[in-house]
Amino acid sequence: MRLFHNQHVFDYSWDYITAANWKKYPNEVSTHVVAVDVLRRELDISGKVLTSERLITCKQSVPQWVMMLVGGSNISYVREVSVVDLNEKSLILRSCNLTGSSLLKVYETVKYMPHPDDPQNRTLFKQEAQITAYATFTKVCNKIEEWSVNRFHENAEKGKRGFDSVLKVLDESWKQTDKIMDGLAEKVDETVVDIKKTTDILIKETEKKSSKLASYYQYFSNAFRRSNDMTRDGS
Amino acid sequence: MGNVMSASFATECTPLKGKYDKCFNDWYSEKFLKGESIENECQTEWYEYMECVQASLVKQGIKPALDEARKEAPFENDGKPVEP
Repeated sequence: MRLFHNQHVFDYSWDYITAANWKKYPNEVSTHVVAVDVLRRELDISGKVLTSERLITCKQSVPQWVMMLVGGSNISYVREVSVVDLNEKSLILRSCNLTGSSLLKVYETVKYMPHPDDPQNRTLFKQEAQITAYATFTKVCNKIEEWSVNRFHENAEKGKRGFDSVLKVLDESWKQTDKIMDGLAEKVDETVVDIKKTTDILIKETEKKSSKLASYYQYFSNAFRRSNDMTRDGS
Repeated sequence: MGNVMSASFATECTPLKGKYDKCFNDWYSEKFLKGESIENECQTEWYEYMECVQASLVKQGIKPALDEARKEAPFENDGKPVEP
């Protein structure tokens, strides 16, 4: 926990300062305050004490690592409870951040009171902030780890998708090659079958021819034998 | 003091907030600070503005964190944190 103190003197009356407090935003310095809303407002029975609850909306360009810790939005909210006490002549504003409060809490107390030396014309401003970080080193590390794992997941998914697309292209070209190879094989097969068929025909034809020859041979030899016999008989 | 009214966290509530703020600021300077006030005025403007605000707090998901903060530092305790 850390404390922060600040003090300042405004050259305006306390009345003026407290009335201005409700009109403080928008102003050209605190451009990060984009909205201020009253959530609850009560006047005590004496009519001298006014309590207000306000919601202050800030929009800030936050470093990337802070965004990561508080949940990735540049809009943050602060709740403030203020008490204007006419009896005491004091305005006390107490505020605490609503956004990111599980990691870091800033309790701020601001007091405006008439300056003791010149209560009619000057106002004393006292500011005190109590800053408590609940984020232990482990917690921050876990958050970073969680983020890293998520990022890794994302990248891994991207990598996988990328590789998938490469694989798909390759697979298609491989399929194409397979088709060509299949075609070739088919062609070869067909040729072989053709050759076989032709050979068969040739063989069969040869066989036919040779058997014809054989039968002719039988004829001639029979004829010769017969004529020899006849000559022998006639002489 | 700037004349420009600040916006509401919910854009749809900004016109209602403008009406309420104007009424409140007049009352604050003219009556409250002079000790002439016996009641919190601007009731009509207040309820119209609040209806819008309450709905938007829920819609924008601010309510849970707000309720938590209210428990820690109640309005009734002037916004001072109470020990759990």
